[in-house]
Amino acid sequence: MVAFVRTAAVVGLEPWPVTLECWVGPGLPGTRLVGLPDAAVKEAADRAKAAVKSTGLSWPTQRIIGNLAPAEVPKAGAGFDLAFALGVLGASGALETEHLRDVWALGELGLDGSVRPVPGTLPIASLARSRNARLLLVADTAAVEASLIEGLAVVPVADLREAVAVLRGDEPARAAGRAPRATRPNVPDLADVRGQAVARRAIEIAAAGDHHVLLAGPPGCGKSMLARRLPGLLPELPVEQAMEVAAIHSVAGVRDPAAPLDHSPPYRAPHHTVSIAGLVGGGSGIARPGEISLAHAGILFLDELLEMPRRTLDVLREPLETGEVRITRARASVRFPARCRLVAATNPCPCGHLGDPRADCRCRPDRIDRYRERLSGPLLDRIDLQVTMHPVVATDLLGESSEESTDIVRARVVAARTRRDARRASGGRVATPAALERLARAIDALALSSRSFDACLRVARTIADLDGVGLVGPEHVDEAIAHRMPVNLVGAA
Amino acid sequence: MSEALWASVAAPGTDPDRLRRAVRDAPDRGLAGSVDEDAAAWQEHGVCVTLRGDPAYPADLAAKDPAGAPAFLAVRGQLPRGPAVAIVGARRASGYGVAVAAWLADAAARAGVTVISGGAVGIDAAAHQAAGRHTVAVLGCGHAVGYPHPHARRGGLFDQLAEAGGAVVSGYLPCTPPRPHVVRARNRLVAGLADALVVVEGGARSGSLVTAGHAADLGVPVLAVPGDVRQPGSAAPHLLLAEGAAPCREPADLLAAVGASSVGAAPSSPSALPPPIREHLAASWPRPIRLDELARRSGMSTGQLLAAITAARVDREVVEGHDGVRLRAAPG
Repeated sequence: MVAFVRTAAVVGLEPWPVTLECWVGPGLPGTRLVGLPDAAVKEAADRAKAAVKSTGLSWPTQRIIGNLAPAEVPKAGAGFDLAFALGVLGASGALETEHLRDVWALGELGLDGSVRPVPGTLPIASLARSRNARLLLVADTAAVEASLIEGLAVVPVADLREAVAVLRGDEPARAAGRAPRATRPNVPDLADVRGQAVARRAIEIAAAGDHHVLLAGPPGCGKSMLARRLPGLLPELPVEQAMEVAAIHSVAGVRDPAAPLDHSPPYRAPHHTVSIAGLVGGGSGIARPGEISLAHAGILFLDELLEMPRRTLDVLREPLETGEVRITRARASVRFPARCRLVAATNPCPCGHLGDPRADCRCRPDRIDRYRERLSGPLLDRIDLQVTMHPVVATDLLGESSEESTDIVRARVVAARTRRDARRASGGRVATPAALERLARAIDALALSSRSFDACLRVARTIADLDGVGLVGPEHVDEAIAHRMPVNLVGAA
Repeated sequence: MSEALWASVAAPGTDPDRLRRAVRDAPDRGLAGSVDEDAAAWQEHGVCVTLRGDPAYPADLAAKDPAGAPAFLAVRGQLPRGPAVAIVGARRASGYGVAVAAWLADAAARAGVTVISGGAVGIDAAAHQAAGRHTVAVLGCGHAVGYPHPHARRGGLFDQLAEAGGAVVSGYLPCTPPRPHVVRARNRLVAGLADALVVVEGGARSGSLVTAGHAADLGVPVLAVPGDVRQPGSAAPHLLLAEGAAPCREPADLLAAVGASSVGAAPSSPSALPPPIREHLAASWPRPIRLDELARRSGMSTGQLLAAITAARVDREVVEGHDGVRLRAAPG
């Protein structure tokens, strides 16, 4: 007899429908799982057998063949356990065909029969709804995540016994727990950053125009403090984007399945020793999303940028340009969205104390040049805003902060973004001829690279949006140029 | 072929044959390379070479330093005649040091006094740049070595100096590398070419102290620019002041040491900077101010301030360095 249970495999971020076919019949007793399973999938046979027996049901002492169709979709992980156990029960007659009609099942089984959540619940639930699933059986905690998809009957099951009872109709299905209403998480306030007028302004422009930022300054001048406050300046994500982010995080297994849908832009700050696979995605078999994709629609903060190996910096270039990562492996080619804003921080020189009045920089000027040259070139060209930060004077830290708070700045940012969207919809000219002329002259006089032209124009466009001006004027261009790092800082005459 | 080559690199009044023999016997000649290759390298870099005692060789250098003056001088550009001052200091210069060096060099050049320096980055570069065509850079290596890289590359400081009418000189074969002892030894040539020496900035172990020592040996008056007592870059000038060097408080002090007098300030073009910013920058000159600090003091919005500063940088009224922005020239 053959039984069918629906489930899905996630390749990259894409869920692929998989039908688990189970046949039980005469032959030497034993279990075989076919259909391009990886090691963890093959172990499903053992886990399912133990779980079925622990539940008090009988495991057929016959030949059992499980097939994951279509066979060409690569499958990984323990998420097929529940479907396989139900398939065996269906094929051996413990469940009837009608019980399993259009039932989707997703979960890892414990040896005692308990059902555990697996990564990728959200995209699979979305697929199940589009395929008109009658029921989606998932672990208790995963049910909260699955029920973010509207119009899908999500059935939480604590263990295999409950799953069988619900399918047979012996027990009513429990309702999936609803996530508590999302609240804006407590992001730190911009008012905490004292002084640093130039860097604050740069962060505001970055938030308004989705520019990448480089913060250069001695240790302790507040680079990470400032970066941490950028998410708070951004508007909340619209539902579709929040779902996209949640799906990425679900597949990567970094999302708490019981958490509500988070509308705030994600903030990721990997350590500078992060591997290339950890940064842009990868891993053995089918690639998993990296930090740059986990930061999709949000902020990727890379501290100590120049401590990262050259190769790691180089792989960042293409995703920053195209907004997505493509990883091709023998078994599958995957695409992860990676439209994040990069906030990079670096010391101004190898010892870190150039321009720091509290400590003496001991670097030779040629070493400083060489250190900075690592930054120059293709990566730096993609970073529109380059800010030199200085340590704060102690007196600035005393007393109440008189700096603008996150709420005030966010209001300006949101207004500028609205203007930008309206402007993009209407098209038309961007800058006045006087502004372009001014930009060309300044780039020549200040010996900036010719590639700076586009970056300055982009930033000037955002500044004009913040000012509420339709066309970029010379004053916007002038300010934009001030956010480019001078070519040589030491001994400029 | 070879004769024509040597004739083309010999300065007017220098015998090509004698030059060839002097180059062959040069103390920095290593095992590699032939004398003709040296001549070809000089020719490629547009260098003329003169021997000690020849008309093109600075006569007072040989007189002042009979033991230490190099046997030949490889000169790119025109060696100016007349009084000369050396303005030297550290490579790792502060904005204050760079501003003072440029101030002194500009005043010297306008008084017709040549500015000699070591062609290094930092203080040396600031002095060369401000002196326009009245300047001589003394290399710590050969002409063909390309050191220091930012100045020796195409279109760099050395090209600018030679084109403007200044000179780049070296007492070494074209391929002698900038080893530390070679770089320090050229400091004697810096002191020998000058009639007065001022040390603007330098650490306690700065090469400027070596130059000042040579100057004292050769009877060249030594001056030092007072600095901030807490800055490490003030160590060298303060040490010299303690040992009896004359303080250099303004360009007139330096010019008086070579018997020149300062001419009036250069006519300044009207400032495009907003008055409050201009006042703050003028008040703190030659010390730079950080942009954050300027934003706080001026009370302008950061955006307006940054735009005004960029406009002034394009007009060459303001310079931005690692420790802040400052006026390029002394406020009137």
